[in-house]
Amino acid sequence: MKKTSLLLLTIFIAGATVLAQENKRTKQGHTNQNKFKQLKDQLATPNSQRTASGAPGVNYTQQKVDYIMDIILDDENQTITGKETIVYHNNSKDELAYLWVQLDQNMRSKDSKTPDIQPNKISKKISKKSFNRRFSDAPFDGGFNITSVTNIDDQKLSYTINQTMMRINLPKPLVAGEVFSFKIKWWYNINNHRENGGRSGYEHFTENDNNNYVIAQFFPRLCVYDNVEGWQNDQFWGRSEFALEFGDYTVHITTPKDHMLGATGVLQNKSEVLTKKELKRLAKAKNTFDHPVLIRTQEEASKIEKSKSSATKTWKFVAKNVRDYAFATSRKFIWDAMAVNINDKTVMAYSLYSKEANPLYGDHSTRAVAQTLKTYSKYTFEYPYHKAISVDGQMGMEYPQICFNPGRPNADGSYSDRIKYRMIKVTIHEVGHNFFPMIVNSDERQWTWMDEGLNSYVEMLAELAYDKNFPITRGYPKNIVKYMSGNQSKIAPIMTKGDNVYSFGSNAYGKPATALWILRETIMGHELFDHAFRTYSQRWMFKHPTPADFFRTMEDASGIDLDWFWRGWFYTTDVTDIGIKNVKKYHTKLNNNNINFIEDTSKGLSFSPDKNTDSKFHYEITYNKPGGLVMPIIVHFNYKDGTSERKVYPAQIWRYNDKEVTKVFSSDKELSKITIDPYQETADVDISNNNWPQENKNKFEKFKNKLKG
Amino acid sequence: MVFSYIKMSFQKKHLLLLIIPLLSFSSHKYYLSLTQIEYKSDSKAVQITINVFMDDLEIALNNYYHINLQLTSKKELQNSEVYFKKYLKEKLHLKINDIAKEFNYIGKEYDADLIYFYLEIENIKEINTIEVVNKILTTHFPNQKNLIKSKVGEKHKSILLNSKNDKGLLKF
Repeated sequence: MKKTSLLLLTIFIAGATVLAQENKRTKQGHTNQNKFKQLKDQLATPNSQRTASGAPGVNYTQQKVDYIMDIILDDENQTITGKETIVYHNNSKDELAYLWVQLDQNMRSKDSKTPDIQPNKISKKISKKSFNRRFSDAPFDGGFNITSVTNIDDQKLSYTINQTMMRINLPKPLVAGEVFSFKIKWWYNINNHRENGGRSGYEHFTENDNNNYVIAQFFPRLCVYDNVEGWQNDQFWGRSEFALEFGDYTVHITTPKDHMLGATGVLQNKSEVLTKKELKRLAKAKNTFDHPVLIRTQEEASKIEKSKSSATKTWKFVAKNVRDYAFATSRKFIWDAMAVNINDKTVMAYSLYSKEANPLYGDHSTRAVAQTLKTYSKYTFEYPYHKAISVDGQMGMEYPQICFNPGRPNADGSYSDRIKYRMIKVTIHEVGHNFFPMIVNSDERQWTWMDEGLNSYVEMLAELAYDKNFPITRGYPKNIVKYMSGNQSKIAPIMTKGDNVYSFGSNAYGKPATALWILRETIMGHELFDHAFRTYSQRWMFKHPTPADFFRTMEDASGIDLDWFWRGWFYTTDVTDIGIKNVKKYHTKLNNNNINFIEDTSKGLSFSPDKNTDSKFHYEITYNKPGGLVMPIIVHFNYKDGTSERKVYPAQIWRYNDKEVTKVFSSDKELSKITIDPYQETADVDISNNNWPQENKNKFEKFKNKLKG
Repeated sequence: MVFSYIKMSFQKKHLLLLIIPLLSFSSHKYYLSLTQIEYKSDSKAVQITINVFMDDLEIALNNYYHINLQLTSKKELQNSEVYFKKYLKEKLHLKINDIAKEFNYIGKEYDADLIYFYLEIENIKEINTIEVVNKILTTHFPNQKNLIKSKVGEKHKSILLNSKNDKGLLKF
């Protein structure tokens, strides 16, 4: 018996020891996941081309490409035929065996792969027109027809076409500092952009059988070669836009004689293409700063559009230091102009529009252009070009010095506030693009947000300057909550390529614009932000910045570490959600040489009546952060006497504990309410935990109360 | 993806479905409406808040009822809410615990480019299931998606409906 019990005991102890050893499992360590970790692990190592401070370095180089072009617009057949001489300056230290040229129109070729990559399904029903276009009509014969590629002596050059790009196989490598000139001849069919979409094309009017042409991506042009991507190697699939080099353009465009045309560059032969009356009015406009002057009126344009001239005229332009070229032309165009004073330099604001866009365009287009030039110049740099044009192109697209905009009034000429504000908003946005990316020339193919986000933010400032009650729909933190709190599988970080995201508008325009608004209003303040933003713009004007250059410059010039902000807001899909978890109340009592803190355990935020009346009111507030983003804690303290106080705890308060932090708040006055972020500055996705005492009224109940009261 | 300009003209009868790249200004954000359903056990009521992109709803209603709403303008139709109610009653159906329930239309609010609708179903003792049929905008905009988010007690359930799949069941 004794032996059995001894054996059992031994087994028991042995078993217990084994169990104890299994419970003492080795703890797993972790890497630095602190939200305030510096961003070095995401950014490229600084070097002598792009420095750690975010500025171009001593060895920064960029290529230059000049174009001399002769373009013929065939109005009867809707084609463009062109020939160009391209002068490529290899300013890099590298030897180039080949050059890559962009053939963007090929996105519209019959064999384009763009339609192949769009997911689609069968819908319950579609219009006959859509059906025909998708399933029975012959496909549009778009794309460049390259008829010749030669060197400057007209000898054939070897080339290879890969969808929307063409490689010129150089006869001998182009060494550092050398220049290579070559010629291309081509033609293509212009697309009807109203029916088939696109960033250029024509709009057809059945009355009088006329076309408004808004022409862009119309010529084979060079890809960017730089120290970040090497040669651009991403096709133009249709969404992510363009990476382009600066250069000088000499462009001759032949149109029907009765057309009115606007284009990038300075018009060299205005007396050959404009009437004496138009020249006189144009001269007057150059001295008129307070209202648009009509160069060609609606009455004149309406008469002109009734017939078609069979003669032609050639417009001659020279544009220096631009990254692209576009033009708009129609016999329907009305032209108005106004002078704009930018730091004592006169810049011309022009609008080209057909009568269908009046009076909306007549009332607002040129004024919106002028406002954009003024506001953007104030916050970045003086607009360096001589003019900016807004065209009634019925789309929203930007080119150097000229952009195509939407909006038309109702048939009877009336237009609602909504139509008006949308047209002005887009016009400001498109003209604003002159600054980002036409001058601060970021790579749109890689980073849509660098121009769209930055532009969308400055756009807000221009809108508020145009009309202090401008209904801003994108950029305020509360407007991005719906997107950010949506289904995670449909959201991507801002630092994701534009081609690959859902909700493109929110991802690349709204969210980054909101980020800048939050930095300016809440994190940095106007003075520090404006100075840093201006520094970035001026460092990189006429150059090619990358995201790292922007992130670094904003910190470098303001003295504020923002790595936590860039990481959370740009590299993750985390949301802001900060709340009050608990509040403990204390009063004090003297006890010999010590002070005792005595907790008041009564319910709610009020102290119980038997609180020591000599004591201050002490509150121990526990804030929690269910959301992943780090933000400052903005607290509004409301006192029982009706006064209030605002306290902002910097974001660094979250550095030890990412989920919860406790702060003591003491006052002579008793609190009645504590509110977190009452002005919705942080894009907090859940404001139900933002109050103490906790408010149980949601948006629904607030609305119902509003109806009653 | 739809070309937003064509939709801006209210005269257009046929809405074109095209595969085109989005343009620079990208003002049409997403074909998504949000319906939030919350059960309030203290008042025994189901609160429904719907937000819809104003332009799209206006086009759909103008087309459907042959009217010209002119929302947010001085010429806005006086009885626009009659049409909102009619449309919602037709396009939104809820069954609570397998019993069809009518909702009360409380009101609407405009906020920038969205319309918010507030609906309520009273006298609901408890909720086990909610069946939602949401056909808002799907006839006129085949790409439309309608997100339903619901909260009953501590449970959050959501479902994404579209023109092909306009009915969903939420279980609590």
